[in-house]
Amino acid sequence: MALASSSYPVAGAQTHGEVDRLYAETRDLRLNGFLLFMVSDLVLFSSFIFAYLYLRNSGQGWPPPGINRLDVAFAAFNSVVLFGSGTTMHFALENWKHGHFMKYANWLIATIVLGVTFLGGQGYEYYTLMARLHHTWSGSGIFGASFFTLTGMHGLHVFAGVCFLTVLLMQSVMGKYTPQKYFGLTAGTLYWHFVDVIWVLLFSIFYLI
Amino acid sequence: MDIVRLERVVAVVGAIVVAAAALVALKNDWKTPGLENQVFKVMLGLLALGAVLALFAAIGVLGNFGGKA
Repeated sequence: MALASSSYPVAGAQTHGEVDRLYAETRDLRLNGFLLFMVSDLVLFSSFIFAYLYLRNSGQGWPPPGINRLDVAFAAFNSVVLFGSGTTMHFALENWKHGHFMKYANWLIATIVLGVTFLGGQGYEYYTLMARLHHTWSGSGIFGASFFTLTGMHGLHVFAGVCFLTVLLMQSVMGKYTPQKYFGLTAGTLYWHFVDVIWVLLFSIFYLI
Repeated sequence: MDIVRLERVVAVVGAIVVAAAALVALKNDWKTPGLENQVFKVMLGLLALGAVLALFAAIGVLGNFGGKA
């Protein structure tokens, strides 16, 4: 790896040439670090998902007696909103690579709006479950604990992603990235896709099987 | 049109659009090299799979469509 032979003089970079060289040298390292972060996050979700599946298969039927299955119609709608945001984010990155700033900004804003819409949908679902049907964290037993923990943890990731994308939008407006140097946008896209893929799993285990 | 039917229609149309968009993006990126692009390809494929699952859920093939919690 290039870094192994470099002196890594980040603070000493003075000229644009040096900055470009450092960017090229450290980009792979940052990418690997970000991918490792996503793997660690995947491990976190996996532990909760396997705990949920274990509990689900060790009881007297699922959902437990007294608790009806979740409504799939709204969940399918909300899932499509989140999956749609994954494609808009991908289009945003592609437009940035090709130097189409306005298209990039529009797709990124669409992604943020869809992310917020998903969070609103999740809030509405929680409200329905808690206020109208009295399924609370503690009141619905292990089913509710699993559901609210996993979907809540995912919701926090979506919220963090919305903040991440908003910062990226502001940074790109301020000229931090160029069509040649845009690692932050790549990381944001990777993170948003990750959040989408986790929801594919959660949607499947809570609503479909 | 009741709210469940509306959710179902929007989910079906949206899932088809999202799955098609993800597959087109996957096709366009298919030959791009680099680690990040390989990850993007996997994630776009899973995104398309998710959209198909949502489509099946919305048309009532999978899950407990229309059931109340």
